[in-house]
Amino acid sequence: MTKDFEPTIVAFLCKWCSSAGSDLAGVSRMKYPPNVIPITVMCSGSVSPLYIFNAFQKGADGVLVSGCHPGDCHYIKGNFYARRRIALVKELLDFIGLESERFKMSWVSAAEGTKYTEIIKDFVKELKPLGPQKKLRRDQ
Amino acid sequence: MVEMEQLQKEAKEILKQGKVKFVIGYSKGSQNLTATPVFIKKPEHTSRLIWDPTCVQNLVKFIVDDKQKQSREKKPDERPVGIVVKGCDSRAINVLIQEKFIDRDDVYILGLSCEELGVVDEKKIAQKLEGKKIEKIEFAKKNNLIVSTKDGEKKIPVKDVLADRCLECKAHFPVIYDQLFGEETEREVKEPYKSIKKTESQSPKKRWDFWKEQLEKCIRCYACRSICPMCYCDECVADSINMAVTAETTAEEKAQKIKWIERSPALSENIGYHLIRAIHLAGRCIDCGECERACPVDIPLRLLNKKLEKAAHELFDYDVGFDHKKPSLISSFKDEDPEDFIR
Amino acid sequence: MKKRIGVFVCHCGINIAGTVDVDKAAKKLAEHQDVEHSVDYVYMCSDPGQNMIKEAIKEKKLDSIVVSCCSPTLHESTFRKAAKEAGINEFQCEIANIREQCSWVHKDKEKATEKAEKITKSAVERVAKNESLEPIGFPVTSRALVIGGGIAGIQAALDIADSGYEVILVEREPSIGGHMIQLSETFPTLDCSQCILTPKMVEVSKHPNIKLMTYSEVQEISGYVGNFNVKILKKPTYVDPDACTLCDDCTEACPVVVPNEFDLGLTGRKAIYIPFPQAIPATFTLDIKNCPGLLPIACGKCADVCEPDAIDYDMEPEVVEEKVGAIVVATGFEQYDKEKMKEYGYGKYPDVLNGLQFERLLSASGPTQGKVLRPSDHKEPKEVVFIQCVGSRDPELHCSYCSKICCMYTAKHAMLYKHHVPDGQAYIFYIDIRSGGKNYEEFVQRTTEEDGVVYLRGKVSKIFEENNKITVWGVDTLTGKEIEINADMVVLAMALTPSKNSQELAKKLKLSTDKDGFLAEAHPKLRPVESITSGMFLAGAAQAPKDIPEVVAQASGAAAKAISILSQEQLFHSPMVAEVNETLCTGCGMCIDVCPYEALSLEQGKAEVNRVLCEGCGTCSATCLRAAVKVKNITPGQIFEMIDASVGG
Repeated sequence: MTKDFEPTIVAFLCKWCSSAGSDLAGVSRMKYPPNVIPITVMCSGSVSPLYIFNAFQKGADGVLVSGCHPGDCHYIKGNFYARRRIALVKELLDFIGLESERFKMSWVSAAEGTKYTEIIKDFVKELKPLGPQKKLRRDQ
Repeated sequence: MVEMEQLQKEAKEILKQGKVKFVIGYSKGSQNLTATPVFIKKPEHTSRLIWDPTCVQNLVKFIVDDKQKQSREKKPDERPVGIVVKGCDSRAINVLIQEKFIDRDDVYILGLSCEELGVVDEKKIAQKLEGKKIEKIEFAKKNNLIVSTKDGEKKIPVKDVLADRCLECKAHFPVIYDQLFGEETEREVKEPYKSIKKTESQSPKKRWDFWKEQLEKCIRCYACRSICPMCYCDECVADSINMAVTAETTAEEKAQKIKWIERSPALSENIGYHLIRAIHLAGRCIDCGECERACPVDIPLRLLNKKLEKAAHELFDYDVGFDHKKPSLISSFKDEDPEDFIR
Repeated sequence: MKKRIGVFVCHCGINIAGTVDVDKAAKKLAEHQDVEHSVDYVYMCSDPGQNMIKEAIKEKKLDSIVVSCCSPTLHESTFRKAAKEAGINEFQCEIANIREQCSWVHKDKEKATEKAEKITKSAVERVAKNESLEPIGFPVTSRALVIGGGIAGIQAALDIADSGYEVILVEREPSIGGHMIQLSETFPTLDCSQCILTPKMVEVSKHPNIKLMTYSEVQEISGYVGNFNVKILKKPTYVDPDACTLCDDCTEACPVVVPNEFDLGLTGRKAIYIPFPQAIPATFTLDIKNCPGLLPIACGKCADVCEPDAIDYDMEPEVVEEKVGAIVVATGFEQYDKEKMKEYGYGKYPDVLNGLQFERLLSASGPTQGKVLRPSDHKEPKEVVFIQCVGSRDPELHCSYCSKICCMYTAKHAMLYKHHVPDGQAYIFYIDIRSGGKNYEEFVQRTTEEDGVVYLRGKVSKIFEENNKITVWGVDTLTGKEIEINADMVVLAMALTPSKNSQELAKKLKLSTDKDGFLAEAHPKLRPVESITSGMFLAGAAQAPKDIPEVVAQASGAAAKAISILSQEQLFHSPMVAEVNETLCTGCGMCIDVCPYEALSLEQGKAEVNRVLCEGCGTCSATCLRAAVKVKNITPGQIFEMIDASVGG
């Protein structure tokens, strides 16, 4: 059964780097699995921990937060705050026993279409054997 | 050694001089059990103040209450509040100042050093008594407790029943005070994060099983939130029960209110609530243990906060409540913050 | 309030329709309770496509639209404009990116269609809660401030002034001209530096639109693009420039001699001095640090001899406040700190010079009237060693970056030395020769072919004085041989660093700097003259080491950017800015800590947003524990619904 399992990933992409990077993947006609639904936000620094918890609660099997590389943030330093905040969220989710593979952060620049593609491919590959995320999921 | 008489004398003095509007401290427990908070307004009542390892509560919550009450009053008494604090509690005051919820001048701090001790854990005492009902607890000489049950008195060394948080405490003396009672004694803490060690070392599945069992118990009474000195928001983002509705609140605003979690005490909602609470206390919780003490269903809530306290310390070199002039954990960063978890 | 949303799914030929069942997607979206109208069309961005949208808005009385098409970076503005033309607010239009983020990256049509539906639904949920917004307009002060009076500042000031706008040019030193005025001749054409720069300096002083403030420093800056308030400290020169007749009697009377900065200490000057004969403004300055003392007057000799009574010991520092709309920062460079370069004996041996000192030796107006002579004994050096990359390209000990101009000026130095001392020999130690630039490579070739300069590839290990000679030990890495040269003079091509106090100024201007302290541009490729702060532009070596033509080009670029602001009556700012719910705000100030633009402040215990400064990044919103601050049209409430749509709920 898990073989046919197709995970759903919610990806919070910053507008200036990671969303642009995913655009580049598209322009370059790279291929990755359709399991990821992007939500473009202004900055990785604007991703509240509540968004992440909420996505898992609503049944996301994986959540990705992606921003500009340190030093490249369009808003100078938003990604630095994101890095700290996301680290804490990760520690907390790990601690309550959510598989650490389910929550990821990445730096993807506007030039890194390939990297974005790889990240999504690997993410889906890692999530498949885990099966559906039921721990935080609200009963439907 | 903290001289109780000195504490009482200082409290009397500041009340007499009108320096403070009242003093919040500890007095003998009403049922001869652990100490109970007391508000003293008259100098002649200061003899009621006590200090011993049964003074478990964090009284800073009352500062929060007073501040909130003041903001509703037309002509509030703006004199400071005198407050008796332990090391951990003093750090709560620092966080409140850091977050500009109170000014330094709002409080007159009577700081008590726990010295080589700390405060007791009532559950540990109960364990020692194997289920027998406590009739009376008294703090006796040589750091012993004399606990009376129907079977008579039992001597228990305080060290054997100290709360876990005291065993893991990094600063058992106040870091901010107007008057200090007792010594700033150095004490080595070998395992500052001992209580989370076991959970940390387990597999994700084991950890999940543990938390599932614990959080399923939650009845969402919000005692943890009500007793927490850091939970001073008028409206908690986790639920809209106490949504602050004013004359200016529009229907649209009410409709816009996001239900991050449902009110039902289902497991997913309980987890949602406690995750939000824990992450909102990251870099703010000073480990006074009140949430866990107040929990009627014995959820080890401290552990969630302790985990993030540890992360703050180890990842970001941030210790909570030591310096109110520094920016908060999440409103600051360092270039060299770890990012090995980021791809 | 229920909205009337229109959904327009674009085929983009087969770019989208090849992978996404657009018809199915449009029909699926039509089921959404807020969607009144949902259609697909072959090219939404075409004129017929846009007209279709406009007509639908009017006919179906739509109040908001979602166009499901390519990335918003391409056609968001197209469709927002169309929406506006059809009579709805432009911010009621959102783009669902189903091409770059969907059809182009997937193959499975069924799954791609499902995903496209989710992405579109997410945009529908967002637009359902979008507010109608109007761009925030604000007036512009049409004057500019240029900080730094080197060639960069001069060029920028002249360009702006020539376009008809007032410019305040602030220079820290008593004269404008910067480092360029110290140079002898410039590569690769060997134009005399002073000859080409002084006309520009004179033009600055005579220009009706330029207010020149030398011996002045920017003290404080507040405000934002279009409306900066600047406080400039005018240091006292103790000489009234209008009265001064430049008779030079005062310098003869002055008893104090100090090293002359203009000649980098190769000559001396008096405490009252004119930096160099062509200085602008042409007047004397009393250097108070070296004067025996004004209060009480300890000497007074200069005033005694001054016939026009131009010297005024009571002159006070003055703070001038100015309003400007744009700022060009051109604070230039200086040479790497000699204290950090002790291993090459600089500062210890008089005949070890830095590049600028050698420029002064070559200069016809320099300490030796253009003769190359050793500072120690005034003899002509017959063997000169030039060392490149002194402090540059040395990540372990010094600067990791390339200072860019040293290869070329060292070639020029060696060439000019040979022109002055034809029977002398020049050696150049180098790591690589970087001669990118028009006619640069040919210039370097000339130095070896026509002037017989010997290039030695390698680093110098030691320099020491012996028998009145400077012995240079090095290795030629091409032959592997150790080399010892008993030179008469050594010239070090020191690394370029940002000018001193530029860090301090950057802080005042809230400009960011890079790891080496140079001012950081907004984007290394596409916004090289803009700073991250709107309305502040960068010119010259303050941003990175560069040569004169590049500096001039960048200065003109910065000027053009400044003019594009000054020429507007009003500026507009995106209305997608943060807003504070005062009821929820507890005034903790965390949002203020994290705001990169200092757009937030505490007013009576509550956070307040300066809408003009806010760029809408939303970091405040994620930081706020009370959910008291959100960015318009991308609120947590909208994200909440978008998550719902994304996971298929």
